[in-house]
Amino acid sequence: MGIDKPGSRQAVDPDEESSLPPSPWRQRILTRVSFLSPLVHAFQNRSIEHRVLTGFGLVFTGILVISAISYRNMTVLIRNGHQDQRSHEFIQLLAATGEVMDDAESGHRRFLVTGDDGYLASYNTLRARAPEYLEYLRNLTDALSAQRGRVSQLEELIAQQLQKERRAIKLRTETGFESVRAMALAGIAKTELDAARHLQVQMEQDESKALAQRVVESTATTRSSIILLTIGALLLFVLLAAVYYLIRHDITERRRVANELQRRGELLEAANKELEAFSYSVSHDLRAPLRHIDGYASLLAKAATVSLDEKAKRYLQTISESATRMGQLIDDLLVFSRMGRQEMLHGTVNLNQLIASVLHDLRHDLQDRAISWTIAQLPEVTGDAAMLRQVFANLVGNAIKFTGTRPQALIEIGSQQSGQEEAVLFVRDNGVGFDMRYANKLFGVFQRLHRADEFDGTGIGLANVRRIIHRHGGKTWAEGALGNGATFYVSLPMTRPSA
Amino acid sequence: MTVSKPILLAEDNPRDAELALAAMEEHHLADKVILCHDGAEVLDYLYCRGHFKTRLQGNPAVVLLDLKMPKVDGLEVLRTIKADAALKPIPVVMLTSSREERDLVESYALGANAYVVKPVEFHQFLKAVKELGVFWGMINEPPPEGASRATGRAI
Repeated sequence: MGIDKPGSRQAVDPDEESSLPPSPWRQRILTRVSFLSPLVHAFQNRSIEHRVLTGFGLVFTGILVISAISYRNMTVLIRNGHQDQRSHEFIQLLAATGEVMDDAESGHRRFLVTGDDGYLASYNTLRARAPEYLEYLRNLTDALSAQRGRVSQLEELIAQQLQKERRAIKLRTETGFESVRAMALAGIAKTELDAARHLQVQMEQDESKALAQRVVESTATTRSSIILLTIGALLLFVLLAAVYYLIRHDITERRRVANELQRRGELLEAANKELEAFSYSVSHDLRAPLRHIDGYASLLAKAATVSLDEKAKRYLQTISESATRMGQLIDDLLVFSRMGRQEMLHGTVNLNQLIASVLHDLRHDLQDRAISWTIAQLPEVTGDAAMLRQVFANLVGNAIKFTGTRPQALIEIGSQQSGQEEAVLFVRDNGVGFDMRYANKLFGVFQRLHRADEFDGTGIGLANVRRIIHRHGGKTWAEGALGNGATFYVSLPMTRPSA
Repeated sequence: MTVSKPILLAEDNPRDAELALAAMEEHHLADKVILCHDGAEVLDYLYCRGHFKTRLQGNPAVVLLDLKMPKVDGLEVLRTIKADAALKPIPVVMLTSSREERDLVESYALGANAYVVKPVEFHQFLKAVKELGVFWGMINEPPPEGASRATGRAI
């Protein structure tokens, strides 16, 4: 028993339980509907509007088809009903006609025997009513049908009967009973009546057969209608359920996404607040120690000026410079961070005026420099004037900086119209340029393509440019070649972006 | 030009205070500086209470006010000064590390007379503090005692 125990414990190993195949009914359903999977897949690849439209389109079509078939079946039933009624009337009328014909013949015979005019009432009735009866009978049959032909035959027989009887009446009236004795005994129109009776039987049989056929047809139609309606209702139900099943996922997904978006919005807001507090704290607290480093290094240099050798002085100088540089980096980073959060104002910006004011601010950098400026007539754009000013201060400042090694600097500011929606502006210089391989690094934060001892800067300027232009809904890019100048492009939408 | 009135420097950071005093020393203004380590002390000085109960009467020539201070912060001190008719004429200069727009906006809205961002570079800091001391302590003519009573709310 002791040996068995571990074995029995193994049997209920949870791993083994989880590796059980899915329940068989589920598998069966899966294989059964697998032929539908490309259909379901195609359906699921469409947008929800398409799905709803397709689904309801199918349901609508289904309802239409069912309605059409039901309508057809109903008309068949109604038509059959009418025809049944006609058939009954036809049979009755046929019988009535037969009776009138018999009555006429038997009345006629009595007249031949007795010579009493009173017995001719039936004969007269037949004469008077026969056309009417035949007209009715004809109306109750379809044109060109066998029955219609038989009605015509019947008409002929009646006409013959009447003709024979008329002749016999004449003979009886003129020559007396003896001349018509044989006729009176045998019945003058016996052959016609026999033929008519035969015809009637045939017609009745045919009509009854047609009636029976229609009953069968009507029953079948009714049954198929019921079946069709049941199947149709079931199919529509299944279809609606399938559509619901297929869009339900979307609906719940959308609800989930909406909730998620709201949650993220709240998180983002919180993160933004935190970031604001963070940068506020950086602005306040990070600068103080830097000021102290520089301050005390300077005080030390001053206090120990006699005892310090050149090397030690240079060290202290380096400490001060590093602190100052870090201060600059912090300032630039704060500006960059602010640029992403700051509320944007929208107004019409005159770029030529803006460039003029930028150049005015940079006039100190322009002293002792030979720069040939080409400034085109620039379009008016919509945006935040202060932010766009920073963009051009950066781009123009860069152009001035990187042409510093040129005896004659050429700087061109211009625009390329690209359609009605966008204005493309560029700042071109003949400065040191850059290697196009690193073009994607130009606009990154703290990305520099030059050593600090070549050109100063913190590497935040173009990052700011990109951030501002992106917030305006535009793009930034650059072209250049090492030692061969550079062109920086920014695109700005002519109309205000809705975001 | 004689310096008759003290310069009140509110600075919680002793190193900043030392550097500021070192800067003042260049123009021999250091002995005119009264150093407060937080906003509460500034208010104590202005209202002649607590530690400053026995000081000579009279307002300082200028208050150099840091924004971030323990107990009572710079903006709170500024609000109190500008809300008090007797203290309102005192020129208040915000001397702070913050370049944040909201600090600037709020300071001026509360009636600050100037706003100076402490430069990280010591020489510039030196220059700024020195110029502040010289301007507000020596060049600028402070409001006469009792100005608030004489001219009401004018500043």
